[in-house]
Amino acid sequence: MADLEELMALDGALAAFRYSSTGEVLEQSVREGADFDARVLDLVAHMCVANLAIATLQARGWEAMTGMTGFHPVQQFGLLGLDWTVVVDGERGVILPTGQADLDGACARLGSGA
Amino acid sequence: MSILSELAATPGVVAAGQYTWRGDRYTFEGRLDPEHARMASIMCRATTMATHMQARMLASLPGGEGLDPPRGWFVCGATHSVCVLANVFCFIDNARTSPATVLAAMTERLGEVRPEAMI
Amino acid sequence: MIRRLMLREEVRAVALFRDDGALVEGYGLDSAERLATLARFAYDTKRIVQGNLDQLSMFTGQRGWTPPTGWLVRGGGHTVCSVGNLVCVADTTVGNLNELMAELQEVARY
Repeated sequence: MADLEELMALDGALAAFRYSSTGEVLEQSVREGADFDARVLDLVAHMCVANLAIATLQARGWEAMTGMTGFHPVQQFGLLGLDWTVVVDGERGVILPTGQADLDGACARLGSGA
Repeated sequence: MSILSELAATPGVVAAGQYTWRGDRYTFEGRLDPEHARMASIMCRATTMATHMQARMLASLPGGEGLDPPRGWFVCGATHSVCVLANVFCFIDNARTSPATVLAAMTERLGEVRPEAMI
Repeated sequence: MIRRLMLREEVRAVALFRDDGALVEGYGLDSAERLATLARFAYDTKRIVQGNLDQLSMFTGQRGWTPPTGWLVRGGGHTVCSVGNLVCVADTTVGNLNELMAELQEVARY
């Protein structure tokens, strides 16, 4: 599992956070000047828990329906917003600028198994 | 009297609203700030979309056919609850009514609406 | 146009869907039914992600999240990623995700 510092070392990283399975932010690191306060990160984390849960449902459903495996367990979920992208595993997340988000780097530094 | 007016006048209903599936418009009746009604329509629409996806997936497995298409959903808080049927939502006061009562009233008024026709 | 994505070594399937979730064109899975299911899953996820981001924007008051560009779900064997109405299934262990997403964005523009 990556430390937040390792996630913040990603090119352009704006914020990184560790969160509980219910979406509570346990630890956070925000680049100076970035507009992500505790309230925003709390909501981002809760949204990511929802997205991961739905993605997991879909992965299980897809595998059950098609027999095509390799989707579950979901390891990371990424959401590319207009300006910001957030990538999470089951415990940590990182927010990157969408245009230059290093998705490979983010996935590699996050854990395996959401 | 519109469906929303009727629902908003139902005892215990704080406000009733309706949103388009595209998410670009909403209307409401009752004691809710317009901005809060807009927020409510966004939240209800998001949850409704999720339930439709979930129902469709469950319907593809044996035994899950009866869930699809879903007609609505509800969530209960400590003092307030939200009931949604098709693209209509009601915020209710738990002390004065119950989700079951309001959902029955909504079903009565929206009974002719086929959920699958509204996706 | 979307067929060109199949030339990438990591891409296993690709599908283009209409605004109502119906399959327009797809390659890489063994039946049209599966491609239609993939399109439907992607359509559902697109709408759910949009709904969740709308809520996040609303609650935080922050610009910069909406409208969404796309999404990705990464499993041990496969990664599913989507931009616009285009969805792609790729081998997680092969290729470069950044390049794939960039190409998806380019193809999705047409």
